[in-house]
Amino acid sequence: MSKDKEKTVLQKTLRKRIWSFFNSVLLTIGTMLSLALVSIIGTVVEQNKDMETYIQEYGEKWAGYISWAGFNDMFHTWWFSALLGLLVINILVCTIERFPPKWKVLLANKPNFSPTFIDKLQHRKVFTVNADKDATDTILKSFFKKKRYKFLEESAKDGSSAFYAWKGVIGRYGSDFTHISLFVILAGAIIGSVYGYKSFKVITVGSTINMEKRAGFNLRLDKFWIDYYDTGQIRQYNSILTVVEDGKDIVEKQIWVNEPLLYKGIRFYQSSWGTSWNKVDAAEIGFKRKDDEESSTIVRVKWNTKVDIPDSPYAVKVIGYAADFAFDDARKAVFSKSMEADNPAVMVELYKDGEHISSPWLFLKYPGLFSSIPDSDDSLIFEGYRGVLFSGISVNKDPGTNVVWVGSCIMGIGFILAFFIFHKRLYINIKSNGSSTEVKIGGVINKNTMALEKELEVFCDHFEKKQKTHKREF
Amino acid sequence: MDQPKIVLSLMFFTMAFAFYGMTALLYIINWVFRKRWIGQTATAMAIISAFTMLMMLIARAGESGHAPFSNLYESMALFVWALTVGYLVLEFRYKLKTLGAFVMTIAFLSVISASMLPYKFKSVAPLNPALQNKWKWMVNLFSKVGLENYAIGWLDFHVFATFIGYAAFAIAFGISIMFLLKLRNEEHGNSGLFSRLPESKLLDEISYRAIAWGFPFLGVGIVSGAVWANYAWGTYWSWDPKETWSLITWFVYAAYLHARVTRGWKGKRCAWLSILGFLAVMFLYWGVSFILPGLHAYA
Repeated sequence: MSKDKEKTVLQKTLRKRIWSFFNSVLLTIGTMLSLALVSIIGTVVEQNKDMETYIQEYGEKWAGYISWAGFNDMFHTWWFSALLGLLVINILVCTIERFPPKWKVLLANKPNFSPTFIDKLQHRKVFTVNADKDATDTILKSFFKKKRYKFLEESAKDGSSAFYAWKGVIGRYGSDFTHISLFVILAGAIIGSVYGYKSFKVITVGSTINMEKRAGFNLRLDKFWIDYYDTGQIRQYNSILTVVEDGKDIVEKQIWVNEPLLYKGIRFYQSSWGTSWNKVDAAEIGFKRKDDEESSTIVRVKWNTKVDIPDSPYAVKVIGYAADFAFDDARKAVFSKSMEADNPAVMVELYKDGEHISSPWLFLKYPGLFSSIPDSDDSLIFEGYRGVLFSGISVNKDPGTNVVWVGSCIMGIGFILAFFIFHKRLYINIKSNGSSTEVKIGGVINKNTMALEKELEVFCDHFEKKQKTHKREF
Repeated sequence: MDQPKIVLSLMFFTMAFAFYGMTALLYIINWVFRKRWIGQTATAMAIISAFTMLMMLIARAGESGHAPFSNLYESMALFVWALTVGYLVLEFRYKLKTLGAFVMTIAFLSVISASMLPYKFKSVAPLNPALQNKWKWMVNLFSKVGLENYAIGWLDFHVFATFIGYAAFAIAFGISIMFLLKLRNEEHGNSGLFSRLPESKLLDEISYRAIAWGFPFLGVGIVSGAVWANYAWGTYWSWDPKETWSLITWFVYAAYLHARVTRGWKGKRCAWLSILGFLAVMFLYWGVSFILPGLHAYA
């Protein structure tokens, strides 16, 4: 043998081996159980947290292993995808290998009419009917009609007749429908992850979500409110959103949890709410004279509005707010460490006789920490505030969703076919013994043998009802 | 805060508790002593128990103003009810009362565990925002006759489908245990109490049939959950612990079905896979609710 030939033979056997590796139901079972097993890790280890959380929970060493193996975002690791891929190739190969022969066999429905064939079947019955053959024939055909069997008939030379009856062939295709549906669902998921996107926007009433770049429109929050039950529990939270295109209001819709807005293929979901961390509706600013214990006057100052403090030369305007005050040294800027009101502070512009003299930060929890009015012993006190509610809107475009639903419907059809429709085949032989007739029946079913046994019982009962019979059982 | 009154549903639950105990006991006595009248009484008690549990669910719906599927306690009642109905169908079909000794014991244990739940899992609570989902077409249709409060939605559909699945798996689990006991008995001379169980081949087949019912219903439960999640949370799949565990369970039973139908596995290996599957169901149902945090925290 030349080397070239050897090589092709080797290639052939290798190809064959790979093919038969993928053409194995044991691989399917193994992959599914492995997927089940590793998925457990993904539920025990919390997903997509920052590294600090894992270090706190598992220690530095284990946190390192977790991030090395990708357990912190397990369902998106290459090896989890590889396992899924293995299952997909496995299903694909199995379908290619099994479907055509099955199709052929079921199309070319060549029945076996030999009476000895019935004797070999596991499920069979023999009994005698007190009627001649023609009458028996009629009873048999009435059974087929009643139970909606299709049948073929063949007469033998010795006067006996053989029947082959079948129904529920379509049930055989249940598994194929189910497998195809998995591919469709997978395709939908891939379309979604390639062409879709997800984001989360927080807006306060009056402001807009800018979708200009993505889809050429803006979305304005007109109203946000919370409904309560009598018990004080939250019933629902709602936003009224308006789509603004080219400066014109196009659509207005009230959304709530379970009721998103759909516009140009993009869905906007009500997903959370909270109190704004960088804006207040109004603040209460107190004016305290040097020797007083408490503020002598308190004024209510709306956001960004100048208000005079009575009996003083001063006026204030609230221009900044931080729910959890912090100072970034690098940027020399104030920011809110969190969304919780742990250390609320407002920034006010202070005017004396109409002239802007300073812009101090006032702290709710630390009144008078810093002197707030330059060249004076009087001070401004941050007494309280009313927050602004924000609405948390999830923005989601997923063109694959409908494909997933189509796949799910196909799966439903597959389930009905696979689990509730059985391919029943009956082989019947009728032989005349003068005035009585012998009926021999055997059956085959693709699954659920109990259903077949029951069917054979019903078959016998049918004859018994129509005609008195002597039952002779095995 | 005003707590809604839950006297009626509590009364029915207490009655059901007693009835289920009696039913399980009667089935066991019937198995041991094989008296015809005890068997008949057991079946009658099972029907009464199922009816009482149904009344409990209806009373609860009346008290809370929504379908009684919103916490662990309510869903346990639904589970026990579905389990009993499933079992009764099985008994009428196969005329095997010994199954009841195992399946109804599982039902009684479930009632006990539901009654031992801490208070916060039992209380009547109005639906939180994410759980409020009704089918619009149904609301529109029903509102013509003033019955819009009785319209159902994804919550009801999703939970109901899932729990038919759970109940079928629980039945398969009970019968798989019976199968293993009977098989051991058959291998060791076929005598004693366990010899009175139905033959192992039949048990094997029935537990397979139960799984063949449970699997598509769990599938429908998962898909309807995905459809609903797409409305409520903006994404049909987010690898939340409940979702992931439902998939794990589904994989185990899919493996079972492939092993059985395609590879011709039977008997012991299948029985163990069925038991493994039900352990996954129990974790999916209870474990996730108690141990793993997630969006699906209610039940």
